[in-house]
Amino acid sequence: MARKRGRGMAACWYGIARTATVDRAAAWAEIDDGGSAKIVTGVTEIGEGILTVLAQVAAHEIGVKPEHVVIGDNDTARAPEAAHAGASRQTYMIGNVVALAAREARKRLVDCMAEMWDVAPESIGTGNGEIWADNTNHRITFGEAVASAKNRGVVPIGAATFGTDTTGLDGVDGAGRPWQAYVFGTQVAEVEVDTITGEVQVLAVWAAHDVGRAVNPQGVEGQIEGGVVQAIGQALMEDYQLEDGHTSTSGFAKYILPTSLDVPRVNSIIIEDPDPIGPLGVKGIGEPAMVPTIPAVMNAIYDAVGVRIFDLPATPEKILAALRAKARQDSLAIQAAE
Amino acid sequence: MSEFRLEAVVNGRKIRRTAKPSQRLLDFLRDDLNLTGNKEGCGAGECGTCSVFVDGVLMKSCLLPVAKAQGARIDSIESLAPTGELTVLQKAFHKAGASQCGYCIPGMVMAATAALRANPFADREEIKERLGGNICRCTGYQKIFDAVELARDVQNGRLPATALLETDTTDGEVIGRNVRRIDAPGKVSGRLKYAGDMTMPGMLHVQVLRSPHPHARIVSIDTSAAEAMEGVEAVITSKDVPGQDGFGVFVHDQPVMARDKVRYVGEAVAAVAAEDLATARRALGAIKVVYAPLPAVFDPVEAMRVGAPVVHDYAPDNITKHIPIRVGDVDAGFAASDLVVEEHYSTQAIEHAYLEPEAGLAYVDHDDVVTVVSPSQNITHHRHMLARIVARPVSKVRFIMSPVGGGFGGKEDMIYQGMLALLAMKTMRPVRLVFTREESIVATAKRHPSRTTLRMGVMADGRIRAVSLRMICDGGAYGLSTEGVMRKAAILGAGPYVIPNLRVDTYGIYTNNTPSGAFRSFGALQTQFATESHLDIVAERLGLDPFEIRRINAMRDGASTHTRQTLGSVSLLRALDAAEQASGWEPGAPNVRGLARGDLGHDDVRPPVSLGTRFAPDSKQEAAE
Ligand code: FES
Ligand code: FES
Repeated sequence: MARKRGRGMAACWYGIARTATVDRAAAWAEIDDGGSAKIVTGVTEIGEGILTVLAQVAAHEIGVKPEHVVIGDNDTARAPEAAHAGASRQTYMIGNVVALAAREARKRLVDCMAEMWDVAPESIGTGNGEIWADNTNHRITFGEAVASAKNRGVVPIGAATFGTDTTGLDGVDGAGRPWQAYVFGTQVAEVEVDTITGEVQVLAVWAAHDVGRAVNPQGVEGQIEGGVVQAIGQALMEDYQLEDGHTSTSGFAKYILPTSLDVPRVNSIIIEDPDPIGPLGVKGIGEPAMVPTIPAVMNAIYDAVGVRIFDLPATPEKILAALRAKARQDSLAIQAAE
Repeated sequence: MSEFRLEAVVNGRKIRRTAKPSQRLLDFLRDDLNLTGNKEGCGAGECGTCSVFVDGVLMKSCLLPVAKAQGARIDSIESLAPTGELTVLQKAFHKAGASQCGYCIPGMVMAATAALRANPFADREEIKERLGGNICRCTGYQKIFDAVELARDVQNGRLPATALLETDTTDGEVIGRNVRRIDAPGKVSGRLKYAGDMTMPGMLHVQVLRSPHPHARIVSIDTSAAEAMEGVEAVITSKDVPGQDGFGVFVHDQPVMARDKVRYVGEAVAAVAAEDLATARRALGAIKVVYAPLPAVFDPVEAMRVGAPVVHDYAPDNITKHIPIRVGDVDAGFAASDLVVEEHYSTQAIEHAYLEPEAGLAYVDHDDVVTVVSPSQNITHHRHMLARIVARPVSKVRFIMSPVGGGFGGKEDMIYQGMLALLAMKTMRPVRLVFTREESIVATAKRHPSRTTLRMGVMADGRIRAVSLRMICDGGAYGLSTEGVMRKAAILGAGPYVIPNLRVDTYGIYTNNTPSGAFRSFGALQTQFATESHLDIVAERLGLDPFEIRRINAMRDGASTHTRQTLGSVSLLRALDAAEQASGWEPGAPNVRGLARGDLGHDDVRPPVSLGTRFAPDSKQEAAE
């Protein structure tokens, strides 16, 4: 049979947020007229779904609906520093700081309502767009509560900052505390190798990743699926080529990317081992999702056809060359044995 | 050729306009009709972001001269649903989480619309084939297939329309729920404006002159002819930089435009701002640069040798960064091991290939604040760097982060924002620069290509005694994120395993290649590829199952990392168990047992693609081809 299947696996670990330096982020929150929440922080969507995560976090902390959260534009002249959109740090750094800012805004409103209703602040509950006092018939909408607070001269706002307890590395032995949150993952890949054409198809990937706490599981899956497929691109086809500093792959006709026909079925398994430091328990997923895929695929190719690719990408040409070399070796071994 | 009169029906409206024969349909839709939902991802027919219907047939508008629209009916993403509404398919994209950065999405929605028109009952495999001309770099396509299947089922009445509605959170629980993405409606409708879709009154167009040499001294630059051209408002070179000229994520070794010498092919040398794009392009040709080529170095190992060409004077050994990690006594560890295995691994340079090429606008506002709007992944740091470059207080520099059409680390570098700011300051008009795909690939950072030598000593029971890992990476012509990439590669490279004796060295090296920079998984991908491949080789030699050898060595709660940090809870064993169970893994040593495995081809595995079993193209498509 020309087409042979195999399976391989690999594990990974990763650090969340900026490496071997103190990371930090800030956010402002306001419970606005009409009962919506306004969040301002210096970072925006790069596609990972952070705006939705922040809306969920703010909604959860304040007690409004996610669709009633507005996230301000991110602008160094208008928003507090949240530093960069990378390092798998958005949910961890910005998610946590938005939670803290939202808590403070909620507390301002709750304290104000407690005074007005003459109840203890602890007896006040919020959720689903409403604010109430336990065991009383006080229950109003957030819009009404904000109006009451403003009539008493209070604008319910909050501000927060979140930083990491981390250090640089020693210049000689590397000792240091580069991150305060670590994640771990494991992936299994199933491949089919065509021994005539050398083509490899990745048919399935099972990807189990610890994310601390999944704010939006569909978003986590999206990160895993996208990461796995980018890694498959690097594993099998992508290759930025240079000759004496000049590239021969300056367009998508030559620089080959995975398309809809190249992708495996990705089965994501989300593990939640909460971060004990941040207020939310969240960690991150953007980068770790990509790490185990390539070795899992290379291990699966070996399992299928007995050749190991040490030199990425595992193009059909390389697979065929390796198969030929293996056939030569096998026949030499047989001759030697005879 | 001269302008001509174009008559067509665009999104249901008759239009009569003058058009230039040099225009592509895509330019006409975007520039003349302001229909910016149609994106330019590649300009070469390869990505599908520009897809429109021409007389009902899906076409790539970047390939069509505008004259082809004469008398035709053109429907773009903006026409699919009445303003403010979404089609079932667009709602399904929203519900399924099918849009991430969103840049490919208008084209995807068009292609998926065509797919369901061609076959309202298309199954998943057929949907995949019909979307084969559209690239998405973010999603891995799964949720896009999910969305099209969802739309198909709702359209066919197999699922109720309520399947498209928002997740119910009236119980007050919001965390852990699949709340629909709040940015999706703007993306699936093509309404969201990326930097390249934005215009400002009086805006000038910017083009960049780039180095044709990998390493050369700049003898002279004569911009006078370009400056004298009608429509050219300004030309800048490194002479126009008033402050400290340097950017980079760790070392600020890259000038806004080449200063005294060029270090890679594609490096910016000069920039032009003109009234229109064509004039700006022509002006580039009028700039005269005299280069004196220098010996160049393209291989990082050669670059480390004594006497190799020096890329930066401050680093005569061409080492951008070396990160060491040392634990225990590695040589003693190898001596005490039952088995020692050494192998070499290498990884290639790869391109981020975000579908949105770099783009940005800059202007100086009424308070003299230099403002840059761009899909920057790090507005905080860019503001600090730009303030030094333009010699203004930080408070007089402002960065606005426009929606990012994919980043993956590639938009952490301030590769063009400096030129935009300088041109805005020089002309006191808004300026805009949009990269072509070729420019994006040639000028911006790649993933570090790596060469790793990995030696591992283990005991017969599978316990790791010693590891030495040495990785040399080609950092290319400028530092960018190399230092950080080397650091992450070193810290994580040996994997989440207990290793009593460890020696890690990662080196980032300057060469005259395209710079390497930040790329999702940042060095840890390269080193862990080596380590995780290596563990399987060792497992085969010892007759151990791959999960087993990892469990034997796994860091557990309270473990000390390779940098001697004490961990709290370690979820590695949970991850191993979960993947093993979910995949129904059949235990055994990794000794080429593919043929004998009993765990292949489960329900959660897709069928392989085989040539020759494709669906029959629908007749309209065929007629068009
Ligand atoms: S196919 Fe037209 S822009 Fe890529
Ligand atoms: S969502 Fe497809 S390219 Fe970003």
